[in-house]
Amino acid sequence: MTGITIRNARLVDPATGRDELASLRVENGLIAAAGDGIEQDGDHLIEANGAILAPALIDLRATIEPAFTPSGETLDSLARAAAAGGVGTMVIAPTRETPIDTPEAVSGLRSAALPLPVKTLIAGGATPGLAGEALAELGLMAECGAAFISHGNTPLANTATARQLFAYAAGFELWLASPARDAALSSGTVATESEAAARAGLAVELTASERLAIERDAVLAELTGARLMVDRVSTREGLEALARARKRGIEVCATASIAHLALNAVDADGLDPAYRMTPPLRSEEDRRALVAAVESGMIDAVVSDHRPLSGDLKAQPFAEAAPGTIALENLLAAMLGLVHEDELDLVSALRPLTSGPADLLGLPQGRLEECAPADLILIDGDAPWVLDTRDSRSARRNCAWQGRRFQGQVLMTMVDGCIIHNLRE
Amino acid sequence: MGRADFTYDFPHDRLITVDDLNPLDIGILFERAEHWLEVNRTPDKKHDVLKGLTQINLFFEPSTRTLASFELAGKRLGADVVNFSAANSSTKKGETLADTARTLAAMHPDLIVVRHTASGAADFIHRETGIATINAGDGMHAHPTQGLLDLFALTRRMGDVGGKRVLIVGDILHSRVARSDVGMLNLLGAEIRLCAPPTLLPNDVDRWGAEIFHDLDDALDGCDAVITLRLQRERMSGALIPSEREYFHFWGLTERRLEFAQPDCLVMHPGPMNRNVEIDSALADNRERSLILDQVEAGVAIRMSVLEQLGTRARKNARHIR
Repeated sequence: MTGITIRNARLVDPATGRDELASLRVENGLIAAAGDGIEQDGDHLIEANGAILAPALIDLRATIEPAFTPSGETLDSLARAAAAGGVGTMVIAPTRETPIDTPEAVSGLRSAALPLPVKTLIAGGATPGLAGEALAELGLMAECGAAFISHGNTPLANTATARQLFAYAAGFELWLASPARDAALSSGTVATESEAAARAGLAVELTASERLAIERDAVLAELTGARLMVDRVSTREGLEALARARKRGIEVCATASIAHLALNAVDADGLDPAYRMTPPLRSEEDRRALVAAVESGMIDAVVSDHRPLSGDLKAQPFAEAAPGTIALENLLAAMLGLVHEDELDLVSALRPLTSGPADLLGLPQGRLEECAPADLILIDGDAPWVLDTRDSRSARRNCAWQGRRFQGQVLMTMVDGCIIHNLRE
Repeated sequence: MGRADFTYDFPHDRLITVDDLNPLDIGILFERAEHWLEVNRTPDKKHDVLKGLTQINLFFEPSTRTLASFELAGKRLGADVVNFSAANSSTKKGETLADTARTLAAMHPDLIVVRHTASGAADFIHRETGIATINAGDGMHAHPTQGLLDLFALTRRMGDVGGKRVLIVGDILHSRVARSDVGMLNLLGAEIRLCAPPTLLPNDVDRWGAEIFHDLDDALDGCDAVITLRLQRERMSGALIPSEREYFHFWGLTERRLEFAQPDCLVMHPGPMNRNVEIDSALADNRERSLILDQVEAGVAIRMSVLEQLGTRARKNARHIR
């Protein structure tokens, strides 16, 4: 049987901590072997020249725009951006505009995503319209293949409803992603409380809002036995609340967005609407705490939180601009930036983008293991490049990293043994 | 153990929950219910056990079958039966339950059958009046005659339920029927299983002496009988259950699901049924498995039996006082 052998690669497998120069052989879409002298006659050979070979990334949070949005992000454009960014598996999260709150919606999106080159999973909306008033059909959504349940970007305001939701989700053993913000405290806010934000006259969010939400959700998870996914922790206080929940033995996992790991509130000081986010960008102290939490394994998954927006929604004064940035294409590069700055080692940086999320969802990919799916990326860890959204595969241009210099580029992305992105040709 | 073995008289002046009863009491009630069940099948249904006694059915909640069952039971035993229903009750005019109770007591009834939305209402009426009170359902607390009739109907069909595996599935949280059935099953030594979505289970359910399940197929494994509970319409589209179709998909009882249970597993429902919500319509009509109509028949007999015991005691107590 002919296969593909990638030679002279620096194999980096966060699942095992492996980091060595070797070859990797792919057959029938699976990883057949890793080591030396494993190639067979007739194999298609790829010469890696010492480039990093790692599992393709798994992104637990990207969003699309409603179908037929003029110039909007479609599944196709999203998948192209993902492939270019080295993402082999992505989860589409619900939004108020695309709530994915019925089994029909989950099935529809899954069917529509079947032809995509990138593995596409769906997070079902936890309440109809993400209004937080009643339960969505979580069980039937799970039967239709929802990977987990999410309340999108909308905090669950009503604690009584939240309790029922947690209890109901617990019965199906589904991860429930709950945005880590107190609905009332965060309502109408656009920036993290700071002197600069106060001078700028912005409506500010207390970091206690995140802590309160995590503490409440942890209590509800403890009460109901639900599996809580803290959807984007971003502050030191929030991390402390998370650590306390873990210590109590609650089944809790946490994600962090690449923006909160790579950027801080100072980046937004100029009131550039490109940096308007939810949660808002935090202080440098919070960012450092978040990086440390990635290194310690407290953060299970780093997400792109890719949010495509029309230029009109972004071209507004800071306080009125729609929050969010696209990030699928620079997710890895921004993470490698932390490695180049000596804030993280390579394995710690890749773990929450590969085996971390794979373990949460029980996926076979995200590791360089025999018989695992051949979802791989080849990375030139040092190649310099400048982000220019005119080259972006995403349908939208709202990128907080526009014009930034990066070091580290995805040379090739492979999913199930098929090359879906290749800069080497 | 039959009554003939030694002298034991039914010792209760009221029936508020099945927890008041011991296995001997239940033996007496079942034995007499068996008698009345046979009598009810003859054209000669009228007797005079309760002749001269007055029975008031005080129903603050809408009810068709329970009210009819108590009314028939009282009338067949020769009591004078009066129905007070919520629609024309004085509570609508602002009267407190205490005043209603005292007003009725002044009319000297001998038996009060009460149904109320508040847990503890039947106990309250008995405390206020001292009159023999039968709880026909108080809030989410208890419905003892339903518990008795369910186990009476089940025992008639399968024999002793001791050691048998009985599953209750549905809205356990809001169900007084579930609480009374669990009480009876515990008294009679059955192995109890409860199955519901976590939103429809009470917090303390792990202390009910039952095994708890969320997955109906797992729960049905090896069961000898299944009691499905009614799901109130107002619970189906809110924060407790997403929809009827999701409920039926995961917790609706069907012939196919019953393949996980014992081959001759019996199916019960306290009624009124939501067909294709709690139970597959065809299964409800399957006379081989379904005890649903047996339950209704057993209901009249059990209520006659309870009224007989409490009425007889009421008559005896009254003589004693005089």
